[in-house]
Amino acid sequence: MPTSGVFEPRHLSLHVFVLAIVIVAEAIGIIRIPIGIAAIVLLPMLYAFAMGIALNPNITRATGRVLTPNVQKFAGAMITIAITPFVAKFGTTVGPQIDAIIEAGPALILQEIGNLGTIVVAFPIAVYVLRMGRETVGAVYSIDREPNLALVAEKYGLDSPEGAGVMGVYATGTLIGTFIFAVIPVLVHATGLFDIRALAMSCGVGSGSMLAACTGGLVTAEPENKDLILGLAGASNVLTYATGLYVGMFVALPLTQWLFRKARPDLY
Amino acid sequence: MQTTEHLKLDIEPVDERGIRVGETMLLLLIACVIGGVANYVSTGVGAAEAFPGMAILYVCSVLGLMLARFMPFYLPSVAWVSLIAIVITIPGVPGSEWVVAQVGKINFLSLATPALAYGGLALSSKEFAIARTSGWKIVIVAICVMLGTYLGSVVIADLTLRMFG
Repeated sequence: MPTSGVFEPRHLSLHVFVLAIVIVAEAIGIIRIPIGIAAIVLLPMLYAFAMGIALNPNITRATGRVLTPNVQKFAGAMITIAITPFVAKFGTTVGPQIDAIIEAGPALILQEIGNLGTIVVAFPIAVYVLRMGRETVGAVYSIDREPNLALVAEKYGLDSPEGAGVMGVYATGTLIGTFIFAVIPVLVHATGLFDIRALAMSCGVGSGSMLAACTGGLVTAEPENKDLILGLAGASNVLTYATGLYVGMFVALPLTQWLFRKARPDLY
Repeated sequence: MQTTEHLKLDIEPVDERGIRVGETMLLLLIACVIGGVANYVSTGVGAAEAFPGMAILYVCSVLGLMLARFMPFYLPSVAWVSLIAIVITIPGVPGSEWVVAQVGKINFLSLATPALAYGGLALSSKEFAIARTSGWKIVIVAICVMLGTYLGSVVIADLTLRMFG
């Protein structure tokens, strides 16, 4: 948060940009693209993000006269503020579903351990297929959102290879995470193998925008279960705030490091 | 990958206790107005009809920020905001039915749209540069990370649900 001037004309014009983007994005609305048995769901938030990037002064020089680096920094602070009413709305979907949530309690708690699945999938690919070095440890140990980034920064420093790994996945996740989370859950749902409650509660594993995209896709696929999907996803997201950092600190990061030392002893 | 070393992201650990409450309340109001417009465009629910619901979400947000600021122990404000919103909608809590009916007029997806617009505009040259210099390998790894995290949770949740009903 900048120390002053957030109500100056330049800073206020940021909201005008956002308002214009939001109106266009919502006017386009949800688009479903059928692909075989599933349908990829394109959500207004994806267009909003894409339009934001298109108007970003690093892409379109002309907007740089208004969107100065200071204003951009303020836009970063506004993400946190703008997502808060969304978080509140999500909370209000949890209360009415409290019985279903208690019933699914064990699954809700245990699926937090399932977040270690990133190591199962991404570690072998990074080490054995892509032959990556120590970046692997930072890159694959978690979904690499802000708390996880801070953990690696503290332990290795962001200028270490591990730091480069965590920053690479962080930046990539920021750019394409919303899109990935709009697509993957819908495809997994289309296999018909899993309980909708399991698909819903797993939406809470990442950032707020990943949560929004994931639940948006599932609700479009199963509108009749909307309340259940939102309630479970919201509960799981609250749980991730509480447990995510600790699972990373005491389990995921030490485990990934140990695996990497076993796999590539030559690099230590 | 060595080239990323000079490209440190300036993500400062945000000490939410330091934020000025008055300023944040005004910015939150702006965010709610934009969210209300998004909701109108997507659902056609007008300002008067959406007002009670948006006001509830606004009050939850402000109370959550205040609690994060003044509580003697640390919990992120989003956690407080969630907890307040959960408690006031649990069946049996006085007024919960009215609250659920009012916030039900607000489309949850519309409230995420402004945050992503800010997000797209906020991306710095450093973030673009990191994504570019990290190369295609990190993109593949990032997709595997997201896929693995999601699938891992799904599989464990599904197995547990089968065991416990």
